[in-house]
Amino acid sequence: MTRDVLQKKILSILVQDFEFQEPGLDDNLREDHGFDSIDAIELLGKIERTLGFSLTREEKEKAMEIRTINDILDYLERIQQGRAQ
Amino acid sequence: MKRRVVITACSAITPIGYGQQSIVESLRLGRSGVKPLRDDGLLTDHIHSRVFGTVDYPIDYAFNRSQRKTMGPVAYYACQVAKDVLEASGLSKESIASGRLGVAFGSTHGSPTVQREIYQTFFQNLEAEFSSIGAVDYLRSMVHTTAVNITRMFGITGRVIASSTACTTSSQAIGFGYEMIKFGMQDAMLCGGADEYDTTTVAVFDNLLACSVGYNDCPSCTPRPFDKKRDGLVVGEGGAAVLLEEYESAKQRGATILGEVIGFACNNNGGDLILPNLDGITSTLRLALDDANIEAKEVDYISAHATATKMGDIIESQAIEAVYGQSPYVTGLKSYTGHTMGTCGAMELIMTLYMMAEDFLAPTLNLQEIDPRCARLNYTPKVIEASTRIASIQNFAFGGVNTCLLIKNGNEVL
Repeated sequence: MTRDVLQKKILSILVQDFEFQEPGLDDNLREDHGFDSIDAIELLGKIERTLGFSLTREEKEKAMEIRTINDILDYLERIQQGRAQ
Repeated sequence: MKRRVVITACSAITPIGYGQQSIVESLRLGRSGVKPLRDDGLLTDHIHSRVFGTVDYPIDYAFNRSQRKTMGPVAYYACQVAKDVLEASGLSKESIASGRLGVAFGSTHGSPTVQREIYQTFFQNLEAEFSSIGAVDYLRSMVHTTAVNITRMFGITGRVIASSTACTTSSQAIGFGYEMIKFGMQDAMLCGGADEYDTTTVAVFDNLLACSVGYNDCPSCTPRPFDKKRDGLVVGEGGAAVLLEEYESAKQRGATILGEVIGFACNNNGGDLILPNLDGITSTLRLALDDANIEAKEVDYISAHATATKMGDIIESQAIEAVYGQSPYVTGLKSYTGHTMGTCGAMELIMTLYMMAEDFLAPTLNLQEIDPRCARLNYTPKVIEASTRIASIQNFAFGGVNTCLLIKNGNEVL
């Protein structure tokens, strides 16, 4: 999946399921949108369904360092590249 | 240290209305909240009892997503009545977050609706490779979901008691909250209970032959506490909360005093987990009088547990006669709402507070011919314009748990 496609899907999830108002790619998820640890776990489940494969525990732990939507996209691109190799 | 404990705010979502005005109107007009059982697509067709104490009016919940994400239907009821109570109390944000306000709140078994969603995911074997159980499913369904959604929503940092003893859930919550304040562990407690629409509970009582099945064509004709033609209980839904405060601090801040909790007792029958027990119930009523340090003759109104099961009403009436004789008026308030399970103790206490405030007593709905096997009591025969000084709120649960709360009218609290 290209970054543009991923971006559209993630933004759609954040707006529809997490009720984000006008999300910006570099917004701080916690401070600007009240996104917390429970949301992070919930989002990972939705990402798994979007990508069509399960994330490893190590990959999920790395996701806890995410702060922005651009971080999410970087994270997903790295995972996709890792799987492709 | 023994401190006095007063009730300074209350709210209830009930099958006969939400808020004092609509509930009092229903009590005065004899309006039942029992309706046909709603189809749940799972158990309804297998249940003989087709009636339910139903909350069928819209409620304007104003919870945002951050608040909603950990809430099942039961927590909606709980948080809404908690919100009402905190707003009505006038407590400052600092007091609420001080650690001196705790929460005692429960439900029969968390959110069965969410539990059902979880099991559907398990057994449909969908997306087995992915983490198909949502991160918040446990938080929405767990047995203490009501209590901690309340603490989370309002930033309450004091003690948490999440009683879960079926029909005595919220009467225990109020009793334990009263003891927390009485003995100085907390200065205020937000107490109550909630239970959501759930056919699982109906199925359980239906299988035990305890549900009403003979009035499916006339839902408002049942339950019929103490009536010769009663045929069992009717499950219901709702939420109810009270704020308890230490008397001196409540008085100092000018809080409205709706009533005083002057006594509480809780015991167990120590044996059978289902059958009502005359010795156990009688003992509970006497223990509450001892705790309040009053005589039986001082109690002038009894909100009986009175589920309308065949044996339960007989045993309770005998216990009331043994302790109180035939003096106090007796009403089975479940005749209006059905048996709202974990909510019933708090709900019936609040209905009693409303009647105290408006100087009337409601009769037991559908009580047309007193069962001769029930003791001869002063069953409230019709709406009576009378002031009540002290009331007894009685609740008994599966598991042999018995509770009794003794409440003094707020106008009598000096």
